[in-house]
Amino acid sequence: MSFLDRFLSGSKSKAEATGALSAPLKGRVVPLEQVPDAAFSGKILGDGIAIEPSEGLLVSPVNGEVVQIFRTNHAVGFLSDDGVEVLLHIGIDTVKMNGEGFRAHVKAGDKVKAGDKLVEFDLDLVRAKAKSTITPIVVTNMDAIASVETLRSGEVAHGQDLLRVTPKKA
Amino acid sequence: MEKTVRILNDEGFHARPAGVFVKKASEFTSTIEVKAGEVTKNGKSIMALMSLGLAKDAEITIKAQGPDEAAAVDACVDLVNKKFQA
Repeated sequence: MSFLDRFLSGSKSKAEATGALSAPLKGRVVPLEQVPDAAFSGKILGDGIAIEPSEGLLVSPVNGEVVQIFRTNHAVGFLSDDGVEVLLHIGIDTVKMNGEGFRAHVKAGDKVKAGDKLVEFDLDLVRAKAKSTITPIVVTNMDAIASVETLRSGEVAHGQDLLRVTPKKA
Repeated sequence: MEKTVRILNDEGFHARPAGVFVKKASEFTSTIEVKAGEVTKNGKSIMALMSLGLAKDAEITIKAQGPDEAAAVDACVDLVNKKFQA
């Protein structure tokens, strides 16, 4: 990104400049360390937080672009307008459900705003078939990130500020 | 330096494999790329690798360029062959 691009993106709204990710799910906030999958709890995929959902609706946590939606519609990757890469992974071991119970509303390359509907899923089916419904929200480009701060604990609703991600200075 | 391998694990090149691969690739100073079909992605980026959307049995070419390229390619190939069990 050139200096001019940085300057121009820096002049966008203040809300975006703080790099806050909003909650993509309604439910209970769970520390990443308590996710029952070592790839997430060990932060191999990056730092972040998790939510145990109480509703089967996933919305975008950022303004940005959908980089990837896995073919089974249970995982979505983003690049935010602030340069933060975010991975949302609905439940644990849900890849084995082969897409059953998941309906995507976006595809790779789509531009999204925070709060846009991404995936609807059958929460009861995930409870019955997967190892856990706990959904990790992780920043995957940690080499470009100075800090990831959790802004909330306990119950959270769609769209409430959840994480503050501060990119490294250029 | 490059080598071609087939993905053997059932889940394909999904989240955990991508995380494990990037961790291994990042141990080397060489640039590492993963090519699938006509698409080439940075082997040190989790999101880039996941965006390839590779399933079991997909063939990929791992390319490295730099002072430790031979060791880098061998280590990455070995990881794929071991189904990403680091």
